[in-house]
Amino acid sequence: MKLQHITIIAALAIVALTSCEKVSPIGVLVSGTAVEDRVKMSHLYYSQYLDEFVMAGVKGDYTFIVGGDSHLTKDPGRMDEMLAIGLENEDTFYAHLGDIADTKPEYYIRLDSLIQAAKKRYVAKNFDTDDNKIYYPKGVPHDSEEAMTFQEIIYPFFPVVGNHDITHNGWALWSNIFHSSFYEFPVHIINSSGETEAIDRFIFLDTASGTLGQEQVDLIEEGVLDGDDKNKYRHTFVFSHTNIFRPSAWQFASTFPREETFFLLNQFKKWNTSIVFCGHVHAWDEREFEGVTYLTLDSMSEENSPNPGDYLVRVHVNADGTLSWEKVHMSYTKKKK
Amino acid sequence: MKKLFLLLLTMFVGSGVAMSQAYCGNHAFDGEHKNEVSGYVMAGTNVVTDGFGGLAGSYTRHFTPRWHVGGDMQMQFGKQLFSMDVTGGYRLPLKYGSLFFDGKFLYNRYNKFNFNELIGNVSVTWETAYVDVRLGESWIHYQHTSDGYTEPLTLTFGLGVNVRHRDNPWNIGLYFRNYDEFYYENWNINWGVRFYAPLPRRLRLFGELNVRPAGSISQLASKYETSIKLGIKYKW
Repeated sequence: MKLQHITIIAALAIVALTSCEKVSPIGVLVSGTAVEDRVKMSHLYYSQYLDEFVMAGVKGDYTFIVGGDSHLTKDPGRMDEMLAIGLENEDTFYAHLGDIADTKPEYYIRLDSLIQAAKKRYVAKNFDTDDNKIYYPKGVPHDSEEAMTFQEIIYPFFPVVGNHDITHNGWALWSNIFHSSFYEFPVHIINSSGETEAIDRFIFLDTASGTLGQEQVDLIEEGVLDGDDKNKYRHTFVFSHTNIFRPSAWQFASTFPREETFFLLNQFKKWNTSIVFCGHVHAWDEREFEGVTYLTLDSMSEENSPNPGDYLVRVHVNADGTLSWEKVHMSYTKKKK
Repeated sequence: MKKLFLLLLTMFVGSGVAMSQAYCGNHAFDGEHKNEVSGYVMAGTNVVTDGFGGLAGSYTRHFTPRWHVGGDMQMQFGKQLFSMDVTGGYRLPLKYGSLFFDGKFLYNRYNKFNFNELIGNVSVTWETAYVDVRLGESWIHYQHTSDGYTEPLTLTFGLGVNVRHRDNPWNIGLYFRNYDEFYYENWNINWGVRFYAPLPRRLRLFGELNVRPAGSISQLASKYETSIKLGIKYKW
């Protein structure tokens, strides 16, 4: 076949492929769930099972911990350590910035087992149970309305999806555990009278594909993450796998295309965001743009960051509305074969 | 020193081969016509801005078979994007093809998002009869109402392949690159088809179908922007 014929066929193939969401020559050969479908599925789940995204109110100060790019494979040490640190320090919740595991079914089975074990430890520390396997938050009378089953207890681990989570149709594995990649939840700060004194908001975006996609842009513009108009948020925190700012010229990981970068920077400002957390590039970066703090976290993976280091971030939100953050040390090192 | 200053000034504040760089086998002075003017219309869809259309124009002046300067301008409706640049370059003939040392200074106004962007790019292009390869670096700064940000240097790279010799009256080819005439990306790699064909009276028809994904050329590359450009170039 002549070179011209090959080129013309390739040109026709490109025309055909541009109507598809997988616009890479490799992408059309490998199955995967594109961002549009992930967001549709996630938003539907989030809308129908809102109870799974509700946090109990907090009294006074609280903290939460953030880590990312754990790339869990055979050794779940660092992931386990993050959850243990969160439990030990009584952080209100734990957020993960995606690429939680490298896509293989056995890695996700290991991850699911690890999270289930962590939930048992969390429940044991924070709940009492009776003979009927009904659980009550510690200190709450057993005849209260806060009685719940083990399944009903929300383990406060909230991830976003990363690009490694969706390779090789990994979305099927990831969503089977975490269900939604696009959601938000409020945290109510309760005063001594039991009334809501302030509300902080936590937004989780699906940026695993390096773009929000049309559906997510539309939903954001429609205001589905804007919450209740009646309540004014004190702080907003956003979690995204793909980073906005590159730490250095040597970071070649995909960032958002130009228009989407500007769209997001405007949107974060509109949300009056306090901190945007990102992952993806496996390098630490801290900067401020128009009053919004952007923290890009290094990878906490044993493979990418074999030495102990400060791979986590803990945010302290004080009752008076002030906030601060600190890096948190991880000491786990990879098991020797 | 004065010559060096003039050289740098010419490269950065010079003029435009931006369009001719983008369309296959069309970079070099043809040895006959010293002026090139071209214009194209475009249409496409973008994840953030939905449908868009636009117009662009370019002028190139070849002072000698080696030195060229020019300027480009575009307006995109829908995106509310206005761009203009000045470029300049030097061609070094080789046994196989030519090496082009180009500089560009580009201004973009993203009115929809209220961002202004300034880009400086220097690049080296090796253009052969059928293949062209480009490497370069971009300095990118954007400014919003109250704050600005200068990105770390961004690598520029491109690869183009044509089915016919670059001197042929018509051509069609494929390309991969992380830039376009009016933007430079990090690791989001455009790809597409480009062509040109002869028209009467020293006119030439050219165009391209450009697929601009979010993400590199992997299975993860997702639809971000698809556009078509169709234009006419006139030489004299």
